Amino acid sequence: METAQPHAGVHIENVSKSFGPEGARTLVLNHVSLSIKMGEFVSVIGPSGCGKSTLLKTVAGLIDADSGTVMVDGMTVKAATKNKMIGLVPQSPALLPWRTVLDNVRLPMRVNPKANANRNLRDPREILESFGLGAALDKYPGQLSGGMQQRVAIARAFVFDPSVLLMDEPFSALDEMNRDAQRLGLLDFWQSNRKAVMFVTHSVPEAIMLSDRIVVMGAHPGHIAEVIDVPLPRPRTIDVYATDEFRDLEGHVRETLREVMGQKSA
Amino acid sequence: MSTTDTSALAVQSATSATGRRFSPLASAKFKQNLRWTNWAPAVITFVIAAALWQITAIANPYVIPTIDQVWVSLIKDADTYWANMLVTGLEVLVGASSGIIAGFILAIIMAEFQVMERAVMPLVVVVMVTPIVAIAPALVVAFGFGMTPKFIVTALVVFFPMLVNSLAGLRDVDDRALDVMKTLHASRWEIFRDLRFTGSMPYVFAGLRIALPLAIVGAAVAEFVAAGQQAGLGSLVTIAAAQANLPVTWASIALLCFMGVVLISLLALVRKRVLWWSDGAAVGR
Repeated sequence: METAQPHAGVHIENVSKSFGPEGARTLVLNHVSLSIKMGEFVSVIGPSGCGKSTLLKTVAGLIDADSGTVMVDGMTVKAATKNKMIGLVPQSPALLPWRTVLDNVRLPMRVNPKANANRNLRDPREILESFGLGAALDKYPGQLSGGMQQRVAIARAFVFDPSVLLMDEPFSALDEMNRDAQRLGLLDFWQSNRKAVMFVTHSVPEAIMLSDRIVVMGAHPGHIAEVIDVPLPRPRTIDVYATDEFRDLEGHVRETLREVMGQKSA
Repeated sequence: MSTTDTSALAVQSATSATGRRFSPLASAKFKQNLRWTNWAPAVITFVIAAALWQITAIANPYVIPTIDQVWVSLIKDADTYWANMLVTGLEVLVGASSGIIAGFILAIIMAEFQVMERAVMPLVVVVMVTPIVAIAPALVVAFGFGMTPKFIVTALVVFFPMLVNSLAGLRDVDDRALDVMKTLHASRWEIFRDLRFTGSMPYVFAGLRIALPLAIVGAAVAEFVAAGQQAGLGSLVTIAAAQANLPVTWASIALLCFMGVVLISLLALVRKRVLWWSDGAAVGR
């Protein structure tokens, strides 16, 4: 999967989706278009009900759009999942409690093995060690803290070398201090394994810290209100939080979110 | 990960390591279970119940036997009781295992093919609301006084709780783990193999806890209506009761009860080995 491919990354075009029974359908996504280049980290932020999770699930192939197209590396989502090109990190770690950490991370290799050919599969042991989980390989998920469990889930998504990584508020269940450590760890790892990342979050600082671009979505119906560039230099460290640029960006994103929420009540 | 980060992780992993399957923690728990405050209350209850029984039995010699009468009968006719217990045990073993396997397999079919649930479940419900006590004599007419009707009755009573519990277990998968499997384009078989099968085990064991005592009920009921040559503890109860032989009646009842206790204890042991991951804190959900 070369970075030079013209179609590399995620291309969402004019996607609409409604839910509910015939006659009482609610529009959840209204003509949403978004492209995530190979190696680009894009966060999606917005109030509850703005359809950000629905958008992520559409890219993951878990939900079919009513109209519009989603392409991953120039393929339909269906073809992309068949080739195991999409790594998903769900909101909860969703590990199998009866398998060791190592066997949980091996799972993506075991499943749909046809798609294992011609790809750069990672060594599960190595990836877990680089995530600071070298001592936990033979432990069971129930013996790990929430933060460690979530890191195992991220390792599980990286291990089979997908081209796109989808993360649905992966750190939302952690406490603030733990969350910072997890963000930096993720950033560190992604720095040397550039995937196209779509990262759904509720947290403004988290979005700025991690992303190249922040997509602010509004609700009723879900739409993209604004796309904000984050020109902060990489690699980023914890010091970024203290810079003026960070604070300006934070102000900008919050302002946009306020506008989006205001529209809703108007 | 940066160095500072890793050191923080080391601390974290040291504190969160709560031990493995058979850790010192587990043996500490075992010792705690042996403490007298844990077992003494139950023992006291049993002693009081036995004393009340004995007093009642002495006051009403034609209603219930005394415990020592039952004990004497058990020792004196140990061979007869043993032979009858083997018969009932065989009925329970064969009947229950076929009912358990059939229930689990049908649950898998229903979980994988919804149309099968819609097609077969109503029939299953109709059979299950029919009182087993009423079915048993009819089965004897159909299959004679041999073991067959006893196997069938025992399997029937076990089947339903197994089916319903297994079906619930196979359906109750972690939705998010399922999402991960779907983005990997996992086949139905792979989802069953890696997610549903083991995931259903807590429900399967809950079903077994209901089903195994029922298996003894099934075997005993089948023997009541079809004593036959092969006897069994159930027929021993009916025959002895008809002769007003109180010690034999109650000795047989006690042995049926003992079989149930053994089954449930074995189940608890197996459950501990198989389901160690499902006890305690919610994992990954």
